[in-house]
Amino acid sequence: MELIKRARQSQWYGVGLLLIVTALVWLVFKAMCPSTFGDPDQLLTYLQTGLIYAVGGCGLYFIVVMGLWDFSIGSVLVLSCLMAIGFSQSMGILGLIVAPILCGALLGAANGLAYIKLRIPSLIVTVGLSLIYESLSVFTSGWSGTRLGDAYKMFGSYPWNLILAVLAFALCTFILKYTKLGTYVNAIGANEATAKNMGVNVDKYKFLAFVLCSTFVGIMAILYIGYGTAQTPMTGMLSQSLNFKPLMGTFFGLAFKKYGHPVAAIVIGEFIISMMFAGFVALGMPVTINNVVTGATLLAIICITTKRVKGAVVK
Amino acid sequence: MEQKLLLHAEKIDKRFGPTHAVNEVSLDFLEGEVHALIGENGSGKSTFTNMLTGILPIGSGTFTLMGHDVAPKNQVDANHQGIAIVVQETGTLGGLSVADNMFLGDEDQFIRRGIKDTAAMNRKAQELLDAYDLGYIKATSIIDNYDFEDRKLVEIVKSTWFDPAVLVIDETTTALSQKGRDKLFEVMDHVRELGHCVIFISHDMGEVLKMADRISILRDGDFVTTVNREDVDEDQLKTLMVGRQMDDHYYRTDYPDYAREQPGETAVSVRGVTVPGMIDDVSFDLHRGEILGIGGLSECGMHEVGKAIFGASYDRTGEVVLADGTKVKDINTAIDHSIAYASKDRDNESLLINDTIEDNIALPSMRDMGRVLSDKKLREFSDKYAVLMSTKMVSVNQYVSALSGGNKQKVVLARWLGKQSDILVLDSPTRGIDIKVKAAIYALLEQMRKENKAILIISEEIMELLGMCDRIFVMKDGKINGELTRSPELSEQDLISKMV
Repeated sequence: MELIKRARQSQWYGVGLLLIVTALVWLVFKAMCPSTFGDPDQLLTYLQTGLIYAVGGCGLYFIVVMGLWDFSIGSVLVLSCLMAIGFSQSMGILGLIVAPILCGALLGAANGLAYIKLRIPSLIVTVGLSLIYESLSVFTSGWSGTRLGDAYKMFGSYPWNLILAVLAFALCTFILKYTKLGTYVNAIGANEATAKNMGVNVDKYKFLAFVLCSTFVGIMAILYIGYGTAQTPMTGMLSQSLNFKPLMGTFFGLAFKKYGHPVAAIVIGEFIISMMFAGFVALGMPVTINNVVTGATLLAIICITTKRVKGAVVK
Repeated sequence: MEQKLLLHAEKIDKRFGPTHAVNEVSLDFLEGEVHALIGENGSGKSTFTNMLTGILPIGSGTFTLMGHDVAPKNQVDANHQGIAIVVQETGTLGGLSVADNMFLGDEDQFIRRGIKDTAAMNRKAQELLDAYDLGYIKATSIIDNYDFEDRKLVEIVKSTWFDPAVLVIDETTTALSQKGRDKLFEVMDHVRELGHCVIFISHDMGEVLKMADRISILRDGDFVTTVNREDVDEDQLKTLMVGRQMDDHYYRTDYPDYAREQPGETAVSVRGVTVPGMIDDVSFDLHRGEILGIGGLSECGMHEVGKAIFGASYDRTGEVVLADGTKVKDINTAIDHSIAYASKDRDNESLLINDTIEDNIALPSMRDMGRVLSDKKLREFSDKYAVLMSTKMVSVNQYVSALSGGNKQKVVLARWLGKQSDILVLDSPTRGIDIKVKAAIYALLEQMRKENKAILIISEEIMELLGMCDRIFVMKDGKINGELTRSPELSEQDLISKMV
């Protein structure tokens, strides 16, 4: 008992717990479809997709931990991918890397400014702006095209995808642990009024969080377009469907932040989800089951991470 | 040796809308003293100290600390000016480490070229915790791993390690066990020995008399007096704290002979009602033709009794039974059986604040108006009862948010008048309302009583209870602590003795 108590107090307890869940998920699917699931090569493939969404999840973490939402990340992703395609043609590898990150940062700044200045809920601001970004993606695709040149697909496979993702995770960890911003986004999420009383410039840090969120989505775009190699513009809110996979990783981060390693939780969480999708496909279930799994997992994680009070007004 | 003036408050004033929370309070705080600030809930103590410590902006007036005017922008700014506070509620933030909490807003001392030296911050935090004999609290741990008391102790370290000239302790002791209190008192003694000042807010009179050198009393935002500890006893403090000037020209003047008169039919029987953490085994009968009062200090649980009768309490056990045997378990049953309820939190729980007077008045009566609602019918209905209540308005299409507190309350009462409710549960019916509207509401209640309606008034206003009620239950710590019957001899002191 004492050992369990001590283990629970360890900062690595959460990560350990997630690794156990990972092993369990792997075991269940491996037992059900031993020949089509869970070999080392396949695990690397699951990790590959997990890494992409985990980078976006890291960005979204800065927003969701403050109790805000950014439902524009799907459209930011699409536009950043198209920027990467376009600028890689004219500027090479520099364009492939800088253009989507810069695009993300600028769109994040627009999100942040709109949220701060308009004083309306972040969900409405970002959904509204995502419609504008979707339209921009149509115009951009006319100039950039929709296919990434063969010379620039290196971030779609190992080792470059892993290197870029690890750099992104390290950056996120660094910001959370070694900058004021990391402390303040947590403080604002815990109690905005108290944070204000402690002299935290809440508007400034909310703005910076929006910038960071979309910047990470910009990095995610490099991995995403490298993996998929083509991106068509999306309109009519279609980009919203791209919001949820990063969001699930973010919720893993929130659920396990009390153990002190949210970024690790985001990465492992995305890997678990990626593995589950592959597991259902291996079981021969239709692809639409992915949506069921996404929805069910999202609801389950929210139920676990949200402190639900009996009788409280929920909107 | 005469103590020198450390902090002077000159005509400190604060309003929240129509509420005058602190009314031009002037006070002196001396070097090397523990200065208690006492008063009922809502007397302005916390508002006063919140202005001193930058939690609230100063309405008007000046604080002068050691000859310099101070007007902190926030708590950290206050700390930099030598003023600190341990707040009543949780002052630490979940999700952050103990060290992060201790230096929140003040991390710059650990920042080198934009990078936070987390290790140095953790080290410093741990050194401070060790110095306070709180070494079992780990600076690197997430604060959520500690219970409320430990988190309060962390706050105490955070607020005192830099030896502030003025330390405010705002109703902190209730959160602490004896061990925690001893630690807090030790810190307070240390601050006093340094020649600094502790402003100590507490409802525990014994504790106040034990720790304070001087005691200042606030009442309804006004400064009452400052006394030396040795010149007063607990009872005198309570009277100073709760006592009010008699002002009864709008109250009832009749004093029925309850020994001879039979009480009216029982309208509601409350049987063993318990809401965990709020009220415990409350039982009483409310009769037709009577005004029953429930009084006590704000946190005594009385406000929950109203909700429990109206079926609005969660986790309620016990029974609320009507004359016809109906058990009220939810709000719909209550409304269907002619129970009306006005919450103390008028804007959030009684009114649709961003909706029209018409909708607010007609809302519970719509169920009786058929499936298809007629605009004309709704307007006429609302207009009739708004006018009956003399609501000051342009028309019933006006939004409630634009009305004064008194007129908002009139809308609430008009709603239940329209619903023809026979049982009225009114929580703080005259809170924040001027004398003229108060008089109108009291006249209405008296008229309803004569119409054989059953009325329950829950109130923190002692004079209101004495002036309007046939019987008064006084609650303390979630239980009924006494029952008093209307009589000219009944005094404030009779109620106070059972409240505090």
